[in-house]
Amino acid sequence: MSFLEVKNIDVYYGDVQVIFDLSLEIAEGEVVSIIGGNGAGKSTLLKTISGLMHPAKGEIFFEDTAIQTAPPEKIVECGIVQVPEGRRLFTLMSVKDNLIVGAYNSRADQYANTTIEDVYTLLPRLQERESQLAMTLSGGEQQMVAIGRGLMAKPKLLMLDEPSLGLAPILIKDIFQTVRKIADQGTTVLLVEQDVIHSLRLSDRGYVLEHGRIAMEGPAKDLLNDPHIKTAYLGL
Amino acid sequence: MTRQNINRFALILVGVVAFGLPLVLRSPTYLHILILLYLYAYLTSSWNLVGGFAGVLPLGHSAFIGIGAYASTILSLQYGISPWIGMIVGGILAAIVGILIGFPTFKMRGAYFALATIAFGEGIRVMVENVDNLGPLKINGPRGLQIPPTNIGFGNYMFAGKEPYYYIILVMLLGILAITYFISRSKLGYYLNAGGEEPEAAMALGVNVARAKLIAMAMSSFFTALAGTFYAQFTLYIHPKSVISLDFSFEIAFIALIGGRGSIAGPVLGALLLRPVSDFSRIYFGSTLPGLHLIIFGTVLILVMIFQPRGLQEPLTRAYNRLLDKIFGGTEQKEITHEYS
Repeated sequence: MSFLEVKNIDVYYGDVQVIFDLSLEIAEGEVVSIIGGNGAGKSTLLKTISGLMHPAKGEIFFEDTAIQTAPPEKIVECGIVQVPEGRRLFTLMSVKDNLIVGAYNSRADQYANTTIEDVYTLLPRLQERESQLAMTLSGGEQQMVAIGRGLMAKPKLLMLDEPSLGLAPILIKDIFQTVRKIADQGTTVLLVEQDVIHSLRLSDRGYVLEHGRIAMEGPAKDLLNDPHIKTAYLGL
Repeated sequence: MTRQNINRFALILVGVVAFGLPLVLRSPTYLHILILLYLYAYLTSSWNLVGGFAGVLPLGHSAFIGIGAYASTILSLQYGISPWIGMIVGGILAAIVGILIGFPTFKMRGAYFALATIAFGEGIRVMVENVDNLGPLKINGPRGLQIPPTNIGFGNYMFAGKEPYYYIILVMLLGILAITYFISRSKLGYYLNAGGEEPEAAMALGVNVARAKLIAMAMSSFFTALAGTFYAQFTLYIHPKSVISLDFSFEIAFIALIGGRGSIAGPVLGALLLRPVSDFSRIYFGSTLPGLHLIIFGTVLILVMIFQPRGLQEPLTRAYNRLLDKIFGGTEQKEITHEYS
């Protein structure tokens, strides 16, 4: 039984096809990176898995249940949670209220009080700032809130869409360390990134997405040493 | 005395003044103006459940006023049912219609949603204007329905003086303020806020944004319809142009936007500021410059949107807090004002 299995999906925006016959697989407990340039279809892929978009063709299985037509709230109930690109906080709500919204689904709701303690242990900065409006936080702190908010939903599979976007290098390190800790605690992580070195270093496996197709896949270490990736993504 | 006590004391003082006012103020004209002021504050607070918390701009709420007014009036005129019961029937009916309207329209964003709700409101008005009888129900088209003031008494929701109406609408207003207060601090309030600002992020967290909006819409329509019954019993004459007019819908939105949508105090503040303008411009310029108040509203709205896009409640709350800071030396822990949630 596979954990997440995406099988031959096609995804369109209106008439424009963005993802072509894409398949991938993630096992439980893995950290998997999807790397690729702008417009490769990385965010679209995540949106399709989380149910914000639906594939025109193909299937998506999560723990052997077909979810390609399910609405996003059902998919969150199953345990797939997406932390969207650009953080998308509820800026006029306090940090704590942002986290509470994360625990909407019935699976997470009953544990909200204990989950919030876990999130505060992982991200102590949020506890210090819990009564501040989200808009008053720095970029790094906002990303922490976005990740914490996703964890509040008690994900089995956490999908992070460019968590390093727009952050200073030192903060990027923090964010990736946090992701590592989350994975070490047993959550499967699907990471979409442009920061190829950092994301591959903490991943078990990686997929390279180009023009809506999987161009390469393999263990993260092999990808890091691959000459094509070195020239195309690392500029070495 | 701590700040919290001061706030409580101020609230109680306002309440006492509001309840005592009719004992001092004997003029029916002023009572009438105050009743309409409370009515608009009530309507705007009901509207606020959708228009404020959910971050959309419905402009068809007059339809629900009309449903409430017509439901209770038809039931009492034709079947002798007390308007108090008719009021609840109208509310439920309006909630159902609200859900039916919300279902297709909540998928639209921004101006499209506003336009669609105008269309629904106006559509219902035109239908009522052109129908004399709906099955056994006598609607009487554009001529409207008159409620003969024969059975005065509480059970019939009909009174000789203005004071009972004053107290009824005051209690209704306090009720809706309490309800909006609790909703704004409930999870439903968070979900509405979240869905209003970042619908995609909220959906990615599994928040059923559409359902939260529909619940808010049902409540908002229900409470709006209650005011329709009040209006019918207060004026004892309803016709499509009076209860289902766009004027109602627009004035509610004006009051909300100028006072501060999404806040508890905003609708009351907006009504306090705008209703007197509307009434006095009608008293003094009604014959020479009818509609002057709408020009004033428009100008004020433009200025407020430029300088205080979140409504006048924000600078006033800040000024109030600063005043308290001065009195108490600002010793207590400062919190960022957080009226919006």
